[in-house]
Formats: sequence, structure tokens, C-alpha cells
Amino acid sequence: MRTKLLTWILWGLVIILLFFLPKLVNLYYLSLFLGFVIYSLYAVTLNLLLGYMGVLSFGHAMFFGTGAYTVALLLKHIQGIPLLPTILLGGLAAGLLAVILSPLLVRVSGTAFAMLTLAFSQLIFVAALKFREVTGGEDGIGLASLPPLKLLGLFSVDMNDKINFYYFAIIFVALCLFLLWFYTKTPFGSLIVGVRDNALRMDYLGFNLSHIRAINLIVSGTFAGLAGATHGMLMKLVSTVGVLDIGTCFKPLMMAYIGGVGSFFGPILGSGILHILEDVVIRFTDRIGLVNGTIFVLVVLFAPQGLIGLFNTVKAKWFQKEKVS
Amino acid sequence: MNILETKGLYHNFKGLEVLFDVNLQVREGERLALIGPNGAGKTTLFNVITGNYHASQGHVFFKGKEVTKLTPHQLTRIGMGRSFQITSTFARLTAFQNIRQAVLSKNKIRFQMLRKLDKMNKITEETDEILKRINLDGQRDIPAGMLSYGKHRALEISMALATDPDLIMLDEPTAGMSRDETHTAVELIRRLTEGKTVVIIEHDMDVVFSLADRITVLHYGQLLASGPPAEIRENQEVKDAYLGELEYG
Repeated sequence: MRTKLLTWILWGLVIILLFFLPKLVNLYYLSLFLGFVIYSLYAVTLNLLLGYMGVLSFGHAMFFGTGAYTVALLLKHIQGIPLLPTILLGGLAAGLLAVILSPLLVRVSGTAFAMLTLAFSQLIFVAALKFREVTGGEDGIGLASLPPLKLLGLFSVDMNDKINFYYFAIIFVALCLFLLWFYTKTPFGSLIVGVRDNALRMDYLGFNLSHIRAINLIVSGTFAGLAGATHGMLMKLVSTVGVLDIGTCFKPLMMAYIGGVGSFFGPILGSGILHILEDVVIRFTDRIGLVNGTIFVLVVLFAPQGLIGLFNTVKAKWFQKEKVS
Repeated sequence: MNILETKGLYHNFKGLEVLFDVNLQVREGERLALIGPNGAGKTTLFNVITGNYHASQGHVFFKGKEVTKLTPHQLTRIGMGRSFQITSTFARLTAFQNIRQAVLSKNKIRFQMLRKLDKMNKITEETDEILKRINLDGQRDIPAGMLSYGKHRALEISMALATDPDLIMLDEPTAGMSRDETHTAVELIRRLTEGKTVVIIEHDMDVVFSLADRITVLHYGQLLASGPPAEIRENQEVKDAYLGELEYG
């Protein structure tokens, strides 16, 4: 009961902080914070595959990028398209990509899954790079302005205002994260974990493994697309480097591993740490990769369950000592 | 009536014949023990029947329908259950969560994404009831991988039973157990499979003779003999092939 109350108070504080954040920090930090929030969603969708289903997606950027490019193309070519449908179509396009790839991807696991996802994402990366007439190649597509957010035909909120967009993005991503968290708590969520731990037993319990794998892949892809769509709107530029390249594939992996793949909130913690680190390190050197890489190696060596796993181990040990003495 | 029947079943691993013209019949409601020396093909026969391997030749009939080409999950859905010789649970999940997976399957809850699993009281109650029946309610929240060997085996067997199958195939349920654990396990199996059809692979002859109504002997991939326990015990061929080695008194 007491812990429940504490949890609610904690969430209340988080919401108040999020509400007043635009008053507390300047636009640069607000944008950095949104980057962290959007990448958190992206890393969580990767973790649905990595932590919950036990397969390593090395090409998750294909979903993120598909979402972002869909938004950019829609805004560029369709005049007056409303904001929300644009973002949702971004997610839908990424989900469609997952649907198309799922017959192949559900048949493999382990290294084959990692290589296959890498191959597809590189294929899409190169296609986006070379298909200049549509994608703008390396230059990408700039988003001159965002359509206003219309709610029930009553309000119209200008999304080119950074602070308005901040509120919109925070609420949207929070909603996505809540849906995904809920998803992991449903019976279907427990089946995904079952497939990870013992696929043969799941088969013998009467569950169709391919269906479970495919649906989880589609959910993960769709939400990664939504993250990409929001990211494109935040950056107002969608180009191959930034939403489709190998770095974009690798970032959420580092976030998930550093935070902890065994927990829903691990990737969010990892995303936070990497974003803060990037902001600090860039003041001293532009070799961010070196610092990130070192931390990644250290975490993999000394805390294979990530920082949340490390925290839980320490907590368990501490409590045990207390019991003994 | 035969609930399970195989006709001319062959299986080979890259040229090595493991099953050779196996014609097995399991009658509804009986408890059949499948015995035979190591490497006789008992587990392979289980794998072929339950759809894990596909027969290179021959047919499997379950409840009068041909099921030769079906997969394990399809067979489970029409009422076949199977336990493994090497304990195969969800090691990181708790005993409760392990059984709950099976209970979900039994209730045909597969793609439910609109309700929280913890809030589904019917599932929780049903799972707790099973845990109580197998005396694992004290270990409810312990990860399966950390249970004692005997308890872990009990969990293994109960997961096969929790989907409420009509035909239960147990692959060496007492493998590696101590005397006491074996005794407890046999009682458990007897209690849980009351009135059901059971096929059991077993090496422990005490278990076989106390549990089975009928015994079938598999030897080098072929059925050697089949009959009531008393008859098999006296069968000279079986003695030569198998029982003699064990010096069963």
C-alpha cells in the first residue's frame, strides 16, 4: 500500500516536472530532452524484440526511418494533411514493412535474425540514398512547417511553436510508452517471454510460435515507426544519416544494453544516460563514439544485465546482508 | 477403441534407421508403458507421434484422424500432451508463471492484449489450484530453475497435464530421481492421470509394473512384444533383450 502511494507521488512529480520544463530550460535543452524521450520509445520497441523475445535486431532503423520518411513525404506532397494522421501513417508504414518482412524473420533466430535485419535495413538505407528524386538522397527532405494540431475541430494548436510541439510530443510518446508497457503485461506479453525462454515447450503447450513472433515484430516495428515519425517532426529534416544509417540501428541497442534489457524501463534509462553523456562529452571532444563505446564495453563486461540489473543485484545483496546481521 | 495408432512408421536420421515399421496401438483409457534399452528409439517415437519430427514413412492416427503431418501445437490443441525426458520448463519464470502459461493455452487465451494478465482472476485461481494439487503452492514464486530436482520434475509433468489433454505422453517422468522422489512422482502421476490415457516411457521397472496396465517393448526400432505386465515379465525374448540385463527379480 505504502509503495503504491509512493509510486503515485513519484509519477505526479514527474508529470509536474514535465509540465514546467519549458519554463525551466532553454529551447536547446528542451529539444535535447525531446530527443531523449523519442529515443526512449525507439529503444523500448527494440527491447520488445531483444529483451522480451530474445532476438537481436541489428536493423531496427529501417522501421524508425520508414516512419520518418513517410511523414516527410506526406508533408511534402499532400497539402493540408493534418498532423495526427500523418504521424499515425508513419507508424502504419513501418508496421506494413514489418508485415512484409515477418514471413522471413519469424523463421530465424540468433545470428541469422541479426544478419537478416541488418541486410534489410542496409538495403532500405541504400535505396533511400540512391533514389534521389523521391528521397532527396543525402540531403534528405526538409520539413518547412508542420501542420497545426486540430482537436475535435475545436482547437487548433500551432505546431511550429517549439513549446507547443514539446507538449504534443511528450503526451504522444508517453501514450505510446504506456500502451507498450500495458502490452507487456497482457497474456500475449507473457507468451512472448515464453517463446524467448523455451520455444519448444511453447509449441507443445499449443501456441503457434510463428504467429506470436510475427505479431510482436509488427507491434515493435509500428511503434518504432511512430518514434521515427515524431523524430522527423522534431528535427524538421529527414535524411538517410540520422534515421536509416547503421548508427541509428546501433544507438537503441546501446541504450537497451546499458540500461538493461531485462526490464521495460532499462532502455529509457540507457537513452537518458547516452543523451546526457553526449551533451557533456561534446564540450570537450567530438569523439563521442569513443566514450560511448568504452561505456558499452564496460557495461557488457561488468553488468551484463545493464544498470537496472546491477542496481537490482546490489539491492538484493544489501537486503540479504541486513537480514543476516 | 484406439485413441492412438501408428501404421508402418519409419524414421531415419540421415540414413540411420531409428524406427522400423512400428505399429503401435494405444487404447482409450489405458496406461501403456513403453520400455526398451537405451537407443531403442523410444523418445524418437514420441517425437514422431507428437509432431516434433516427421515420419519418413508411415502414418499416425489420433482419435481416428490422420495426424502424421501436424505440428506439436496443432496436436496439443486437439488433445495430446507431452512431457520431456530432459526437464523443459521456463527456468527464469516462477513455478506459478510456468503453470499459468499452460492454463492460458487450456483456456484458449492466445492473442489477448486488452487485459492485464495479473487481473485475470480466473486464470490465477486455476493456476493456484493446480499448484496446490501438485504440492508446489509453497514454491509458488520461486523461479523454476531454482526448484529442487524432484519439484522441478513435478512441474514439468504438470505442465503437460495442465492443458487438460486426452492422451498424455510422459517421457521418463522419474529420470534421475531418488527413491523417495520417484515414489512421490508415481503417486502424483497416478493421481493426476486418473481415468486418462497415458503412454509412459520408463526405465525403472518398479514404476512400470506399478503404473502400467499394458507394456510394449521397443528394441532397435522395432516392436518386440506387447501385453499385460505379467506376460511381458515372463516373455523370453524380452528377458533376453532387456529385462535380463537389469537382473530384475
